[in-house]
Amino acid sequence: MFGMRSDLPLRRDSVGSFVLWLVMVLVFMASLAVTVNSYIGVLLDNWNRGVSGTLTVQIPVGGGGDKAAALTVNKVVDVLKRHPAVAKAEAVSHAKVRDLLKPWLGDGELIDDLPLPALIDVEMRDEAPDAIAAVTASIKTAAPEAVIDDHRVWLGRVMSLAQGFSVVALTIMALVTGALGLTIMFATRASLAEFSQVIEILHVVGAKDGYVARQFAQRALVQGILGGAAGLALYAPALVLVGYLASRVDPEVLPDAALPPQHWLIVAALPFAAGLLAMITAHVTVRRTLAAKV
Amino acid sequence: MALLRKKDEGFSGDTVTLERVGLRYDTGPDILSDVSLSIPQKSFHFLTGPSGAGKTSLLSLMYLAQRPSRGEVKLLGEDVTRAKRARLAIIRRRLGVVFQDFRLLNHMTTFDNVALPLRIAGVGEPVVQRNVTELLNWVGLEDYMQARPAVLSGGQKQRVAIARAVVNRPRLILADEPTGNVDDAIAVRLMQLFIELHKLGASVIIATHNESLVERFPFPRLHLDAGSVSVLPPLTTASDQRAVGM
Repeated sequence: MFGMRSDLPLRRDSVGSFVLWLVMVLVFMASLAVTVNSYIGVLLDNWNRGVSGTLTVQIPVGGGGDKAAALTVNKVVDVLKRHPAVAKAEAVSHAKVRDLLKPWLGDGELIDDLPLPALIDVEMRDEAPDAIAAVTASIKTAAPEAVIDDHRVWLGRVMSLAQGFSVVALTIMALVTGALGLTIMFATRASLAEFSQVIEILHVVGAKDGYVARQFAQRALVQGILGGAAGLALYAPALVLVGYLASRVDPEVLPDAALPPQHWLIVAALPFAAGLLAMITAHVTVRRTLAAKV
Repeated sequence: MALLRKKDEGFSGDTVTLERVGLRYDTGPDILSDVSLSIPQKSFHFLTGPSGAGKTSLLSLMYLAQRPSRGEVKLLGEDVTRAKRARLAIIRRRLGVVFQDFRLLNHMTTFDNVALPLRIAGVGEPVVQRNVTELLNWVGLEDYMQARPAVLSGGQKQRVAIARAVVNRPRLILADEPTGNVDDAIAVRLMQLFIELHKLGASVIIATHNESLVERFPFPRLHLDAGSVSVLPPLTTASDQRAVGM
């Protein structure tokens, strides 16, 4: 590695394989956490793009039945189309409403018997709260019974949930980073103790602390990269499995979200990040331990 | 021995100066108390004294494995009492140390053991190859270059340890019982090796119990007893020494 010689028989030390195994587990966990985080980012993006700047107006089917509701819908759509803050207003067809409800209510006769509300999709040209308030007011004037949903409450809750997942994922990343650092620190200390006589000889013949530290750092770098690669080797089948399970869930419930390219870059970088962290930790640990001597 | 000659960054004054040096471990009793001595450049001394008198401790102060509890130590013209660790490493590169128990690195070949000080000092590989090969020839280990210490005899290990100590052309050679594990014939040969290095300009200090060795060579003795040092004259004279065939 880098043309450096190793003066320490580090390959024979007792903690090496334990470190490899642990790095593998940690990088595996980190890759899952990164995936959760990326997936949530994609979902939030989709939802946000899907619903921001839109309103859904619901006209309940009252005593007048479907026909009266349809008249009210037309009236409200007319009002909306004339409103300067509205880009587009469109009644949602009965078939579409049935489609939307299909995952929950099925396709059978039950749905035929239900009084389905009439819906109007509204796209805002002006998303300012004032404009939304003005539009809401004019809808209420035209049809006092209309229920207006600007999706914000819904979106707000979904976003808090998603952000909660994100926080958990980032916490896992932080814990994994700490665990890796501590593992390398203690493994390095054990190794230093195991090879204290060799290190003493290296010092006697003129080695500086940095020379000794580089040998441990070099080994930790290799361990981090190899263990990390093994962790990703576990991650690949896990991802395929989760992807397969997700594909069996109705797309209306769980939107199909392709993970962005930067996600794959981050995952691919994990072994190198682990190697780098291990290398720096080992170097600092050796320097600190040796500096406490003589 | 062209390889042992080099233009050295010289230093002024004595090779080693100890001023009122005391050494103790933690709160234990004094191992050394109030030791003052000067080892001039290009000198040769035996270090004698009963077991437990502190010979190894005195040597360890000189090869910078520890710092004195009290007093001042100067080495090769530098005050090492308070020098930084990194500086101590640089000074150690101009010292050669031979341990009683050799302390060879068992996972390395003879060649790599001897090459270690050069490689650590950053000497280029062609020079390492040339110098180490020449030195191993000189100590008669040319057939054991790729052998590991485990397969060497005590005398061979001793010679590897000495080769490692001198490969860097040290200005000060410290040897702790270097003839402790070999018979008298080899002991004399090893002594001749040290004398050769001494003639090339190094100061040499040899700690030994071996009375016959001390009687055989005309070098002054540093005698350590009860934690303090006195300098005693040689037990033999140079003319006696010629008589034994040196």
